[in-house]
Amino acid sequence: MNALSALRSLAYPALRAEAPLKSGEAGALKNIPFSELETLSPGIFPLEQSRAGGSSFENTIKSFIGEVAGKQAAAGEAVTGLLAGKNVSLHQAMIGMEEASISFQLMVEVRNKMLESYQELMRMQV
Amino acid sequence: MINILTGIDSTSAALNAERIRMDVVSQNIANVNTTRGPDGRPYQRQQVVFESVLKDQLQAGGGSGSEPQLVQIARVESANRPPRMSYQPGHPDANASGMVAMPDISIHEEMIDLMSASRAYEANLAVVKNARSMAMQTLSIGKR
Repeated sequence: MNALSALRSLAYPALRAEAPLKSGEAGALKNIPFSELETLSPGIFPLEQSRAGGSSFENTIKSFIGEVAGKQAAAGEAVTGLLAGKNVSLHQAMIGMEEASISFQLMVEVRNKMLESYQELMRMQV
Repeated sequence: MINILTGIDSTSAALNAERIRMDVVSQNIANVNTTRGPDGRPYQRQQVVFESVLKDQLQAGGGSGSEPQLVQIARVESANRPPRMSYQPGHPDANASGMVAMPDISIHEEMIDLMSASRAYEANLAVVKNARSMAMQTLSIGKR
């Protein structure tokens, strides 16, 4: 995974949202539609481009979050099965819960890291 | 499927197997004085036999050599020891000469088995704990 491209795709949606406000006094800039910006400088919005083909990073994150949710669901199922007296052993439930908690923390760490680098970028002087 | 705790599958299977082994030992201890089983004969001491199985064999399709090997209970076998005869003339199951066929189970042997099974269970729990703490410490790399 290329960290820079990940950051770019993370930063640009926000940039797009804030750019018209910041360059509000410029006036002329405000009126340039973003579709034209993209034709002027192709590749400036990698996220927009990749929407057509499917961004690998976006999909990676999506499937990762899906897997974390799946682990949580599996842990919940194991605990429910244990409490309901089904054929689930204690260690299965505990290991499932532990896996769910660790993968959740991994997800939180990834999110913190991405947010941190995004904020670092936003603080950058232009 | 993300693999958060690597190698936990074998450990989980081992915990299961040791749990069953402890169950069988407790069954042996419980039946130390059972003179009449479902077949009308004295209780026979049961023993578990472990076997290792490749993880992919449990699922559909074959496995390669590098798959993790899990342990599972192959079968629970009767020891087929001859019964221990004890003289109890008043016992309902006593034969003509007053001898009762008791199961040949030694409590000491069963206690050793129980200790060994519970120590093996603890060892596997230690593996789980270790894997967990390693994962948590690795996650703390990202913290400031």
